[in-house]
Amino acid sequence: MANIDVSSSRKIHASDVLEALSTQVRVIHALILRETKTRYGQHKLGFLWAILEPIIMVALFVAIFAGMRNDSPGGMPLVPFMLIGIVPFAFFRDVMNQLQGAIVSNKTLFAFPQVTTFDVILARGLLEILITFGVFGFLLSMIHLAGYSINVQRPLEVLAGCGLLAMLGLGAGFTFASISPILPSLRQITSAFLGRPLFLASGLFFTADSIPSEIRQYLLYNPIMHILELIRGAFFFEFETSHGSWHYAIAWSVGALATGLITHQALRKKAIVGL
Amino acid sequence: MIELININKRYRTSAGTKVVLNNVNATFPKGKSVGILGLNGSGKSTLIRIIGDAEPPNSGRVVSQGKISWPLGYTGGFQSNLTARENARFVARIYGANTQYIEEFTREFAELGEYFDVPLRAYSAGMRSRFAFSVSLACNFDYYLVDEALETGDARYREKFRLAFQERSASASVILVSHNEQTIRRNCDMAAILHDGNLDVYDDLKEALKFYSYLQTRKAA
Repeated sequence: MANIDVSSSRKIHASDVLEALSTQVRVIHALILRETKTRYGQHKLGFLWAILEPIIMVALFVAIFAGMRNDSPGGMPLVPFMLIGIVPFAFFRDVMNQLQGAIVSNKTLFAFPQVTTFDVILARGLLEILITFGVFGFLLSMIHLAGYSINVQRPLEVLAGCGLLAMLGLGAGFTFASISPILPSLRQITSAFLGRPLFLASGLFFTADSIPSEIRQYLLYNPIMHILELIRGAFFFEFETSHGSWHYAIAWSVGALATGLITHQALRKKAIVGL
Repeated sequence: MIELININKRYRTSAGTKVVLNNVNATFPKGKSVGILGLNGSGKSTLIRIIGDAEPPNSGRVVSQGKISWPLGYTGGFQSNLTARENARFVARIYGANTQYIEEFTREFAELGEYFDVPLRAYSAGMRSRFAFSVSLACNFDYYLVDEALETGDARYREKFRLAFQERSASASVILVSHNEQTIRRNCDMAAILHDGNLDVYDDLKEALKFYSYLQTRKAA
């Protein structure tokens, strides 16, 4: 065909970039609406469960720890202490878990050329982050109504901490989502070796100071431990962390996200063919 | 028109590398219904997925003017736990089309009645393909890629689609993939045959069918 000139067709124009960007925004928007429908459309209890689950967890662990000791950890009141551990942790764990199956369970969508593996993973991540923020806000107002004074010392730092946890979750999620079409048993492995151990070893139920220093030095390799310490230090007037390091946490979060994006880039073609 | 330029596609299987498309070059003119015939396992679905940009070739490229549909098949692209209405809205959104128009057109054309608001998993194969065709017709593509699905559904409805495509044949073309020569004979103006990694395009439908029946007897022998 005479009118196809190879050199000009390879050149990238600004208008092409804008066009591609607007398509991507459209697709991600459509995917988020679709995910919301598939997750919550059939069961009216879906949204309720998103709120009930952390409430049950907080109640359970408050009951356990109130029975064990009388003092409040690091001077913080017990109920908000548990809440500001369990809910921020969800930014990591739930984002990671939801993302893992993103490619596999959306495989029919790749018949549409404008829907990419990147889009389906990111759409799930954004939806999960939005939901977790909603749940966080709702539960904070609930315990405020229950009579706890919610006075956030440095709100922006709390948000930044949640953002870092979400980045860790996105990084892990992008990595596992890209590997799982090739390795279907991955979900069991990540749940047994990552999800559950980190739930217990990330300081959801304790402060770094309350742990013997021989154990603490190992726990402090865990970036989530750092971030939860930092979030609580920023949230409560009663508590300042002497162990959490922003530098360490940021290095991990950025590294995890980069690893996730690079893994996805390397495997995305294989991932679709493997389906 | 759609032009395939030096397309190569191989799959790695446990039995070694399988070459599906071996340096394929072809031109499909606009306004003509093209049938692509091939025996089972010859790579027809892969070819149509590459034309529709649902899967990348190992090398080569597809040049086209005009909007190409996604490969229309039994299930492709739709989520079975969502209703036809919800799936139609999704398609409208990702193509940047008017959601309300697509929804209305699909509802009327697909004749699904109250099933329009029932999740797709309750549909028969015929209902699914009725839905898939109606949504794609609503989107006004220049090229429709069809993967076998024309044969499902009742005869009256097949006729309705054939007429709808015919009505648009000035502006739209169909590229239809099948292993069934009857399907091609009924619906296409010209045909291409995919065999052993090669795609031979015939302007004359009869000649193509003759070669295809030769291939079938060769395989049977």
